[in-house]
Amino acid sequence: MKEKKKQIKKYKFTTSMQKKLVILFGLVLLAFIGLSARLILINRDSGEQYKKQVLEQQEYDSRTLPYKRGDIVDAKGTPIAMSEKVYNLVLDNKLILEKETYLEPTLSALFQCFDLDETEVRNYITQNPSAQYYVALKKLKYDQIAPFLELQNDKETNPDIKGVWFEEEYQRLYPYNSLACDIIGFTGKDNVGSYGLEEYYNDTLNGTNGREYGYLNDDSSLERTTKAAVDGSTIATSIDVNIQSIVEKHILKFNEEHRDEARDGAGSSNTGVIIMNPNNGEILAMASYPVFDLNDTKNLTGLLETEELETITEDAKYELLNSLWKNFCITSTFEPGSTAKPFTIAAALESGSITGNETYYCDGYLEIGGHKIHCHNRLGDGLLTVKQGIEKSCNVVLMNVGLTVGIDTFMKYASIFNFGLKTNIDLAGEARTDSLIFDPTKMVPTDLAVSSFGQGYNVTMIQQIAAFASLINGGAYYEPHIVNKVLSPDGSTVKNIQPRILKQTISDTTSELIKDFCNGVVTEGTGVTARPAGYTMGGKTGTAEKVPRGTGNYVVSFMGYVPAEDPQVLIYVVIDEPNVAAQDNARYATIMTRDIMTEVLPYLNIYQTEELTQAEIEEQNLKAEEASASISQNSVSGNEANETPENQTGANNEGETATESEEETVEGNTEETDEPEIEIDPETGYAIDPVTGILLDPLTGVPIDPTVSNLE
Amino acid sequence: MAITKRRKKQPEYFFDYTLLFVVLFLLGFGLIMIYSTSSYEASLEFNDPAYYFRKQALSSVIGLGAMVLFAIIPYHFWERFAIPAYLISMVLIALVMTPLGRESHGARRWLYIGMSVQPAEIAKLSMILVLASLVCRMGKSIKTTKGFMTVLFVPIPVCLMVYTITDNLSSAIIIFGIAFLMLFVSSPEYKKFLLLFALVGAVASLAVYSIVQLSESGKLGFRGERILAWLDPEAYASGKGFQTLQALYAIGSGGVFGKGLGQSMQKLGFLPEAQNDMIFSIICEELGLFGAIAVILLFVLLIWRFMIVANNAPDLFGALLVVGVLGHFAIQVILNIAVVTNTLPNTGISLPFISYGGTSVLFLMVEIGLVLSVARGIRFKDAQE
Repeated sequence: MKEKKKQIKKYKFTTSMQKKLVILFGLVLLAFIGLSARLILINRDSGEQYKKQVLEQQEYDSRTLPYKRGDIVDAKGTPIAMSEKVYNLVLDNKLILEKETYLEPTLSALFQCFDLDETEVRNYITQNPSAQYYVALKKLKYDQIAPFLELQNDKETNPDIKGVWFEEEYQRLYPYNSLACDIIGFTGKDNVGSYGLEEYYNDTLNGTNGREYGYLNDDSSLERTTKAAVDGSTIATSIDVNIQSIVEKHILKFNEEHRDEARDGAGSSNTGVIIMNPNNGEILAMASYPVFDLNDTKNLTGLLETEELETITEDAKYELLNSLWKNFCITSTFEPGSTAKPFTIAAALESGSITGNETYYCDGYLEIGGHKIHCHNRLGDGLLTVKQGIEKSCNVVLMNVGLTVGIDTFMKYASIFNFGLKTNIDLAGEARTDSLIFDPTKMVPTDLAVSSFGQGYNVTMIQQIAAFASLINGGAYYEPHIVNKVLSPDGSTVKNIQPRILKQTISDTTSELIKDFCNGVVTEGTGVTARPAGYTMGGKTGTAEKVPRGTGNYVVSFMGYVPAEDPQVLIYVVIDEPNVAAQDNARYATIMTRDIMTEVLPYLNIYQTEELTQAEIEEQNLKAEEASASISQNSVSGNEANETPENQTGANNEGETATESEEETVEGNTEETDEPEIEIDPETGYAIDPVTGILLDPLTGVPIDPTVSNLE
Repeated sequence: MAITKRRKKQPEYFFDYTLLFVVLFLLGFGLIMIYSTSSYEASLEFNDPAYYFRKQALSSVIGLGAMVLFAIIPYHFWERFAIPAYLISMVLIALVMTPLGRESHGARRWLYIGMSVQPAEIAKLSMILVLASLVCRMGKSIKTTKGFMTVLFVPIPVCLMVYTITDNLSSAIIIFGIAFLMLFVSSPEYKKFLLLFALVGAVASLAVYSIVQLSESGKLGFRGERILAWLDPEAYASGKGFQTLQALYAIGSGGVFGKGLGQSMQKLGFLPEAQNDMIFSIICEELGLFGAIAVILLFVLLIWRFMIVANNAPDLFGALLVVGVLGHFAIQVILNIAVVTNTLPNTGISLPFISYGGTSVLFLMVEIGLVLSVARGIRFKDAQE
């Protein structure tokens, strides 16, 4: 003990050491002063710059929260266009590579859940270590990403899955693919609608993007706010998916039947059908041919052969696509032909130029201003009443009526019927026709004469049907429309779009007379074949020769309504250049009308009022037999039937087969039951020379000159 | 006289309350700053903003217990463990290479024995103990060149081990620095130190110069690049200079009084692991120059207390222990702030009591306990006479 104490006392912390310690303290103090000075200098010299730098590198990054574009639903509430949330798989390479332990678990989870090219992804990540936004996969459904989310969220077993996130967006989806493609239109990137309803109602359908963003408050501290997205409104249309598919089915059938018949290509250069409620202007169906798949709008395989597709230039391709995308029913103009005749008569009656009891003599032509303008019946129809003039579609009668009306009144009524003006249907791309009608100040009597039977000026289908609706509904011109309701995203009604009467075109009395005339067309005139069995119908055929004249190209059409006395459904069928040897035959349009109406009317709960004739009953029985036969055939070769890549349901398949058989029987009836040697033209009722195929005058038997244009 | 009165009540007992107060204050302040700096990252990483705070608070409580223990035990008790402690610390460093070693942040520096321990921290403490004991045994021979060299070479093996095995240059520098300062105080020499100082300065300058020259050839390790980033942090803003530059932004944007406690923006992901070595820059950002200089003053106060205790220590061993602790604190605080302000090249040195680190705070508290124990041995002069 003693020794130890001595030792301790022996080695004391000497004064020199104390001095040195003080020196050391002084040095430390100096160092601190130096560092404090450095701190002050940093603040003084670079404080402002660094302050800005700090604010600058803050991420006020605003993340866009996408809105959901509204749906388009049909009359029954079935969605025909909808938006579905999809997810893009995004990789943040920087985060994945932050720790070595992240890479492998993340990659293995990715490859386990997604169909990714392993080497490609791996190479991308290692070669771009600082990339933070790599979209590996696009438009995944929730089901597809769910397994990965499960792995990622299970932090217990998979703590090292990092740097993978999903970017949400909405994808436009058309559940019926090509159905009603012309009406609906489609939506491209960034929710920009093209064509049809998608374009016209683009703003209504679109919502407002939400945003999640950061900002600096008064104290310069960062705050984050989320502004939710506002989804777009849904629009409810008057289009009925079932009617629309019936219409499209028959258009397709016609075009397939006559494919490559007189020339290469489809059964017509275009076929348009509009079905409308004449009492409120609602469009029930609107279709044209050819169609395109709304989910794959740039697919031309239906139009062109594979070799053609490979050789076609981009420009030509886009031209083709544009013609494919546009809606024939509202953008294409044509000379309406005889379906315009009721308008001429209506104008004459309404203006008091005629009473309707006049008679006119037709000897095959009328000479106006030095031109002989022929009736399509060159032999002349003889003495005709106004009604007979409509029924037989006599040009001479109409020219006489037109001349009586006079240019000014005729053109006044043309504008009352809205020709030359847009109908303002709620679809994008309606054609302007103001330059395609005659200018009253420059019109000569010949122009008036041809106008009286629908040549010389152009209309669109929608103009023609909207105006015609006013002829038969008592004179109310309804603005044709498709959308009747705007719904909020949660389904409540935001806006009701009521039918709009734009004007009164004619009086009720005139309307009744016109109906009477048009009913005659179907009962005993040129439109007999248009009538669906068991129904009364009125209407008017049309056969217009296209410009340039004399090339044998025609637009054939039929405008028809059911029931005859109280029209509930109005249909307009236009076949542009049917692919047949002799195009000037409105029968193609009337038959299609009948086929469509036969299916549509029962669906619309419009019941048969007429007794069926023996022929019609037989026809129906035959149809039923064929249908059952085709069913049994289908069940025998069941596999084949199932393999046919058709979107139609089984029921539709049967229906199609049934109508086909019906078609055959009809032809049999008209061609064979009458005279076996001399055919009768079904439209005009004239005999056809079996050798030359030229119409013969029933009275004189003199053939009608085929080289002169045959305007109806 | 106040002292005389107090002496009458407690004639033999001295306790350095000032020192204790400063230590407790720094400890509490450190915990607050750790919570402030780490809560953002902790809530992202662990879903628990208090994750780092709780771990550090636990270490601090254990440290306080250790401090009390070491303050009570007379410091001479530890003298006999000087050589074993020196050897054990070397063994522990070597153990890092075995499966007991643990890797974190890309460096293998930790041992896992029930808890994570950094052997370098143990080495610092044992170096203080062994040198204090050595100098006492050497007595007057410290004045000879041989004695001088002996003291200078004792830390070398440990430093080399720390540097080579755990790849931890900063700890090696600190260990050597502690030895150097203890030697400086115990040796009567001045010339040698000036010479040594000049030598170190010359070598360092030469090293920096050659690195700058080498940089054109592009054959540089990560330390070389750190030097370049130090000279021009903006040029390496996305690489080695990133952390330094972000720290400077934090310091510069704080202004005189700072943005307010908890209002730092740099801690929100820009300054990675702000609770570690770079915590001082967040203090500057949140509390401004005022707060930063206050913290520096607290450390000055701490070191001043160390000096007082050492100068009044009852014997050389106690005094040298305190000098070692003083050296340890002074070196770490100065180097840390120098790194944060980019006065020196970036190297990982933590700020005592404030930076996050369990082992660090535990051994610092042990050192404080030793100092308090030495202080307790102080006898008032009047009483002894």
